[in-house]
Amino acid sequence: MADKPTFSEEVSNLLHASHGNPLTTCIQCGTCSGTCPVAEFMDHTPRKLIGMINADLKEEVLESNTYWYCASCFHCTVRCPSEIDIAGLMYALKRYSIWNHTYSEEFIGPVFSETFVKSILRSGRSYEPVLAPSYIFSYGVREFLNEAHTATNLMLKGRLPVLPPRLKRSENFKKMANRIIPMGEAK
Amino acid sequence: MSKYAYFPGCSLEKMALSYHQSTMETTRELGVELQELEDWNCCGATTYFHVDELLAYTLVGRNLAMAEKMGYDLVAPCSACYKNAYFTSAYLKEDQDLADHINYALEADNLQYSGNTAVKHLMEVFADDLGMEEIERKVTHPLTGLRVAPYYGCQIVRPKKDHEDVEGPVFFEELMTAVGAEPVDFAYKLRCCGGSLIITSRDAALSLIRDLLQSAADSDAAVIATACPLCQTNLECYQRLVNQEFGTEFKIPIMYFTQLIGLAMGIPKKKLGIGTEFISVDSVLTYAQKSE
Amino acid sequence: MSEKVGVYVCHCGTNIAKVVDVEEVSQWAGEQENVEIARDYKFMCSSLGQDLIIDDIKEKGLTRVVVASCSPHMHEKTFRAACEKAGLNPFLYEMANIREHDSWTTDDEVAATQKAKALVNAAIDRVVHQEPLEPIQVEINPNTLIVGAGIAGISAALELADAGNHVILVEREPSIGGHMAQLDKTFPTLDCSACILTPKMVDVGQHPNITLLTWSEVEAVDGYLGNFKVNVRKKARYVDEEHCTGCGICIDKCPFKVVDNVFEAGLGERKVIYRPFPQAVPKYPVIDVENCVYFLRGKCKACQIFCPTEPNSIDFEQEDEILQYDVGNIILATGFDLMDVTRIPQYGYGRLANVFTSLEFERMVNASGPTDGKIVMRDMETAPKSVAIVHCVGSRDNNYNVYCSNVCCMYSLKFAHLIHERIPDAEVYNCYIDIRTPGKGYEEFYNRLLEENTHFIRGKVADVTDAVRFPGEEGKLIVQVEDTLIGKQRRLPVDMVILSPAMEARYDSREVSQLFRMGCDFEGFFVERHPKLDPVATMTEGVFIAGACQGPKDVPASVSQGAAAAARVAGLINLGTVMMEPVRASINKELCSGCRICNDLCPYNAIVFHDDQEISEVITALCQGCGTCVAACPSAAITGAHFTNEQLFSEIEGILWDVREKQAVPV
Repeated sequence: MADKPTFSEEVSNLLHASHGNPLTTCIQCGTCSGTCPVAEFMDHTPRKLIGMINADLKEEVLESNTYWYCASCFHCTVRCPSEIDIAGLMYALKRYSIWNHTYSEEFIGPVFSETFVKSILRSGRSYEPVLAPSYIFSYGVREFLNEAHTATNLMLKGRLPVLPPRLKRSENFKKMANRIIPMGEAK
Repeated sequence: MSKYAYFPGCSLEKMALSYHQSTMETTRELGVELQELEDWNCCGATTYFHVDELLAYTLVGRNLAMAEKMGYDLVAPCSACYKNAYFTSAYLKEDQDLADHINYALEADNLQYSGNTAVKHLMEVFADDLGMEEIERKVTHPLTGLRVAPYYGCQIVRPKKDHEDVEGPVFFEELMTAVGAEPVDFAYKLRCCGGSLIITSRDAALSLIRDLLQSAADSDAAVIATACPLCQTNLECYQRLVNQEFGTEFKIPIMYFTQLIGLAMGIPKKKLGIGTEFISVDSVLTYAQKSE
Repeated sequence: MSEKVGVYVCHCGTNIAKVVDVEEVSQWAGEQENVEIARDYKFMCSSLGQDLIIDDIKEKGLTRVVVASCSPHMHEKTFRAACEKAGLNPFLYEMANIREHDSWTTDDEVAATQKAKALVNAAIDRVVHQEPLEPIQVEINPNTLIVGAGIAGISAALELADAGNHVILVEREPSIGGHMAQLDKTFPTLDCSACILTPKMVDVGQHPNITLLTWSEVEAVDGYLGNFKVNVRKKARYVDEEHCTGCGICIDKCPFKVVDNVFEAGLGERKVIYRPFPQAVPKYPVIDVENCVYFLRGKCKACQIFCPTEPNSIDFEQEDEILQYDVGNIILATGFDLMDVTRIPQYGYGRLANVFTSLEFERMVNASGPTDGKIVMRDMETAPKSVAIVHCVGSRDNNYNVYCSNVCCMYSLKFAHLIHERIPDAEVYNCYIDIRTPGKGYEEFYNRLLEENTHFIRGKVADVTDAVRFPGEEGKLIVQVEDTLIGKQRRLPVDMVILSPAMEARYDSREVSQLFRMGCDFEGFFVERHPKLDPVATMTEGVFIAGACQGPKDVPASVSQGAAAAARVAGLINLGTVMMEPVRASINKELCSGCRICNDLCPYNAIVFHDDQEISEVITALCQGCGTCVAACPSAAITGAHFTNEQLFSEIEGILWDVREKQAVPV
């Protein structure tokens, strides 16, 4: 098995520890896509994406916006007649895409996710204000103003944190994360 | 008095402070003690799993380990925190390899997790552990005539834990009935609010929020009850934006189920965090009449 | 004691020889105690292979034979017959399975060869202790019990009865006919179901060779192949069958109606005294005790008052009767139940009024059904202008039933056709994953449908809802599905939705299988002896199965299985006697202490206790040789023929040959 894995094999490997059945058991019934509340926004429905993965259409899959629209509501997973963890697949594709930096710049999801992760590693809890720059500048003017309006209201109602949080055992927390990061990193 | 290890989650610090307040008030009234996990960290929500799965499990593992140290079951009011904690615990128990990796990391904070902590969503504490009868006993201001849309959302019921019925749960309705309210047939009670899509894919999230609000309006609901801070924020704080985008005129109050239970138990509204909403809940408050 | 054992090690082509060094095993066997000759050969089961055994027995005077080859399920019979042909008692033969238990389980040649030696040694050590046994002859009672009078049971009954055999046909419902009687038209010919079924029903009702017991259930079964004793409870109809003419005045005059959840699938009503449908066989009505005002409150009695016969045919004092029959064989044809689709809440059945099951729709389109054959919505008046038919409801789904239910594609197509026929302008949508049309004329039926304007949407329906999202959806049922052929999620606003639910085993199939001492599979369907080569026999001698109780199937397949089961039974009846394996238990009178532990343990009720002598005795003919009593007896007073302690312990010691001699080679 010294050959480079095919794309479908790569994805299978990503799902190795998944609690669902392999993608090859997909009978293309379409229940997932019929159920998905955001399917209309995806360029390829979840079912189609699985078909594309099984057909090793790597480029098309990685260019797709499907998994960035996934809200991980898991409705597809609980209804799939073949018991495939489709939401889990979407997570895996997001990770693959971020690790290999194959995502299109127009997606807000990847940058937002990376910013979120960095902020957690730094302070142990999420802090909304630090997340804003990661997406707010991708919005158009109208949306920017809308978001500013919402944020202002939240602040006035006392619902936005002012100071960033701090863990007591912050040092230990960082050490803990560092024990994983070398292992978790994919190259 | 039953005791739990309480994991509030990042949202309940500020964004959903009212959820935290109403939780503490109602549980105390019902004889349940929630002891906050000392120095808890973010559970990773859904976003962390987009980047690094193992590290995401580790973050959750730290909280579980602290709960295990306390010796109590873990309770999470936020559906995303709940889902992460439940499944991390379950996976750690069955996968020795995963457990080894995570425990190796937890050592750095002098913690270990052996998988023996049960994880519950806050609503389970009310619906299962306390039971409807116990709650009914404490109701002094039944919310008679209040048409509530019980919005489960997604991650409180999905993914499946065992082989339970995830398409037709009724525990939220039963809880609302127990406090005297009238749960309506809310067609989209299990449909996603979009969660973090409100940031990353706003068009989709707004569409989902609109559908939920419309569905509640179609059922003549006077209020939507939620069990998750993301759901509440999305449905409430972005209702104005939905109206702007779609030309609708929604003005539906969105409250936490703990706030409704608190009102039914006669707890003063200030203590339940009422007053920080974008959409006034005054119309709901009129239903909390003291029964004779 | 010294015996002359012949050992034959089979190559089975490369099946065994590829992994096991058969020459070495054979040579090694030849060096063992008691072994007169050892050979290896390519295919022992071939005529030439068998001849090797026969010739050796004759020429070398072999007293025992061991064949090391495949599973006894395959060729025990073959080699026993070979021994018998050569004049050696077939029970002086033993088989070592070095294929399924050895060469097919590993690639490790060293380990496999070592294990083969152990298995062969075990067989040799055992066989020298075996005794000659004679098979037991059993008479076959020519009567047959058939349980279930749907199309499979009716087919079996008529085949046997027409051939001159007596049949006792037991049916749980008040009339025979089963689910087929509920159908309107049958695919692919669109024959009217009642038209093709009722002639057979009349045949059964009038046949001199068929004792028909309807509104009856089997309560107890004792005995064995050829000699079953069955108890049938004939439930009280409260109608005297001797005098009732079937005029039906009682039914007309009965003032009370209830929802008919059985025959009308909940769509229509029936009277409290009723016949399930007009062509019911037999014609005698039945009183529904749970809803009858006389039985509940002592009032009414309209049926009795208006009954014209002399003496009166209504008998409120009638009691259940227990009837006993002696039969030689039993055929189970108990049919299926439709899945309860409230288990799938997202399809809205029960919550949304205009969602129907296929059985409800069959009753609706049936000319003698509750709507006189008109297709209408739940209000029983308005005709739908658009209908969606949902395939695969609870079938092909790990969350409900994994299997495909065989018939739904065909009847879903049939429904589409019938809707077009009766409501020419209707929009009809069939939402499917695959269209399965394997039978004769089935694909042609599908082609016919393709020209009729049905919208075929390839996608499994995700939701049936009344929640409006877009204009045009108000007041409709919306079917949300991905149209996979164009890759888009679609919302179809329709007036009516028909679900095609899974065919499941009867709700009580497990209890029934236990009653008849045979098995169910994981889904509750009865287990056949072999899925390919023996679909109508079971592992219990004398008990056969036919029709949907064995697995989802259509009418032609049910008829075929009914006829097949009948043929098997007729063959046995024709033989008159049958030889049964003499592997039985027997109790040593001297050693029996009368503790009676064995009495209740016997699954076949084959042990009797003699009060006078205070000892137990095994009735040889009833014993099935399971060995439970042998193991349980605290006095070791029971011997299992062909499985004696001596034989079994020798076998165990034989397997441990290399450990015994302290050559600890890990196997």
